[in-house]
Amino acid sequence: VSATFRYSDPVDFVVVGAGAAGGVMAKELSTAGFRVVALEQGPWRREKDFTHDEVGVTLRGAMINDHKKQPNTFRKAPDEKAKLQPAVGYCRTVGGGSVHFTANYWRFHPEDFNERSVLGAIPGADLRDWPITYDELEPYYTKAEWDLGVSGLSGSNPFDGPRSKPYPLPPMPVKSSGVLFENAAKKLGLHPFPAPVAVLSQSYKGRAACSHCGFCEAFGCEVGAKSSSLAALIPVAVKTGRCEIRPNSYVRKIEVGKDGRVTGAIYFDAAGKEIFQRAKAVVVCANGAETPRLLLMSKSNLFPQGLANSHGNVGTHLMFDNGAYALGYFDHPLNEFKSIVVTRVLHDFYRSDPKRGFYGGAGLDARFDFLPAAFALDGLDKDTPQWGSEWKRTVGQYYTHMMGIMAHTSCLAVEQNNISLDDEVKDAWGLPAMRVTFKNHPDDIKALHFMADRQHEILTAAGARKIWLTPGSLDGTTYSVHLMGTCRMGDDLATSVVNRHNRAHDVPNLFMVDGSSLVTCGRQQPTETIQALAYRAADHIQQAARRGEI
Amino acid sequence: MTLTRREYMLAVACWAEVLRAQTLKLISFDAATAAEINAIACQIIPDDETPGADRAGVIWFIDRALAGYDEDKRELYKLGLKEMQSRRAEMFPGSSSIVGLAKDQQIQLLRSMEQTEFFQMVRYHVILGFLGHPMYGGNRDQVGWKLLGLEYSMHYEPPFGYYDAEARGGTK
Repeated sequence: VSATFRYSDPVDFVVVGAGAAGGVMAKELSTAGFRVVALEQGPWRREKDFTHDEVGVTLRGAMINDHKKQPNTFRKAPDEKAKLQPAVGYCRTVGGGSVHFTANYWRFHPEDFNERSVLGAIPGADLRDWPITYDELEPYYTKAEWDLGVSGLSGSNPFDGPRSKPYPLPPMPVKSSGVLFENAAKKLGLHPFPAPVAVLSQSYKGRAACSHCGFCEAFGCEVGAKSSSLAALIPVAVKTGRCEIRPNSYVRKIEVGKDGRVTGAIYFDAAGKEIFQRAKAVVVCANGAETPRLLLMSKSNLFPQGLANSHGNVGTHLMFDNGAYALGYFDHPLNEFKSIVVTRVLHDFYRSDPKRGFYGGAGLDARFDFLPAAFALDGLDKDTPQWGSEWKRTVGQYYTHMMGIMAHTSCLAVEQNNISLDDEVKDAWGLPAMRVTFKNHPDDIKALHFMADRQHEILTAAGARKIWLTPGSLDGTTYSVHLMGTCRMGDDLATSVVNRHNRAHDVPNLFMVDGSSLVTCGRQQPTETIQALAYRAADHIQQAARRGEI
Repeated sequence: MTLTRREYMLAVACWAEVLRAQTLKLISFDAATAAEINAIACQIIPDDETPGADRAGVIWFIDRALAGYDEDKRELYKLGLKEMQSRRAEMFPGSSSIVGLAKDQQIQLLRSMEQTEFFQMVRYHVILGFLGHPMYGGNRDQVGWKLLGLEYSMHYEPPFGYYDAEARGGTK
């Protein structure tokens, strides 16, 4: 039975956003004895509410932010006028992105935390070291893997950092894409390994193993085998009797008292009624785009530029998910529509190598994640007809014979890439729309080109009959579902928003815990790092709270 | 070959009869418009050696989409179809409908308009109607999924495909 708290009675913590990080905060803080209210803008969908409906879920975006009600404006540079254009996507449901993600669960590498020291400054970018090391985060990577349930093979990735414990579950069964990728990569002297994924290969903590239904990426798991916050953490939090999950709660402001401390959050409930939930501290886990927007909307006499924004850093250094996607057609059926998306990965090109002449790298994975209509709409090479008998035959012949390689590439932090508030456009609640300013650094594009050649080599070695890149693969991006970097972690108040424990430099009882605190974005697949940071922050927050230091 | 006015009326009447037999009612289109849109759909995904848009009931998907999620596309359909009819009359003087054109005439007509927003929208809807979940009215008897080689199941076991079966040394 979920706890219910009175609005006027300050709870210990309000958590804004019950997603990948918010779920960790809700679970860790409530099990540690604190009273928590988690405000989630989306509904509370359960396993029974999830479907296998491509039209509703992926083509009409049933589970993501609604760009009609929550418009974005977009521009490439600060001197342009931003135009109405979807620019960020996130899962709007209790459990957040962890509900619909592909479930690739990669740790960042040790060198991700000090690339600036190793590589030096990159012109046109603001590459910085993290204030923490891989070793400081390692216990929390392990904690995340064991708490949530992650399948993988320890020691199989020679480029991974040291780990204190193996994965709790063996790898998922290999798919045909994984077999072709592994054989081809080995032929080329590379080091493919079984994909670490937040999906249960065996039953774990009372949850059922994956049934290989194939509706994994972009969908919620109907059997609870995807290790989302929803399946693995929220139930534990609720069971404490100290955590109330409030879905359909759209936060518009974090309130501040005269002493400069936050006092709670103001939100609209499902009926549009405004409610002020009082709290002793606030943890913002609203994602790397909504977190800075909320801080910027939380203006007050003490914080006229927005909360925790004394030095104008909130919203800056936005990083997006870059990737190139190459497809190959093979002689025999792979039937990639079955099971999880990715079963083999390689990190040989992950580390930034100055000899290549640009910053960056990628993790590569084998996948074919086109659902039927998406493939028919624009999956085929553009040199084939796009309708009629021949096209129909090709779609029918190719669909089960396809695989691809996705290169998850680096995205440099650039100060002027940011989230800000639009001057004119409002959302359906009358709040300023999110304005996104983003342009890829030239090295991001060079990395895409470099990886496209590697993808071609591997698909060729795998025996593909025909190879093509999906449209836009080399262009960089203007739309992202990985939202990172906008409230950077750092020791210096002048250049960062949160400290090494995710506490706002400016406000002692305010924490930002999500993709926003990432200093660099690794090679995408940020969820494990976001959740490890959340476990670490939760550890710090509860200790500080006990010492009376919040 | 083009249909005479009388043959056209007969075709529409047959179409209406088919609809009645299916005990379904059109919501967005009248029977004549549905026949025209269906004719376009049937060149985008023809019923040839395997079932196509007609057998899949794609028109039902479109009819319902325009009364629901894609209500704001009704005007595009109205104007787009009007433009296509003028083009038809120009290209094939004496013709009175798209459904009445010979197959290769229909293809010529669509090819001349394939870059238009209207054609691209119809193509989008036809594909969703062919390969989307049958609950939306199309993809009847899962004929779309069958064309792609999909079975629909909540549960699969390895081996999933040829290459992992081969690697496991089991049956392919």
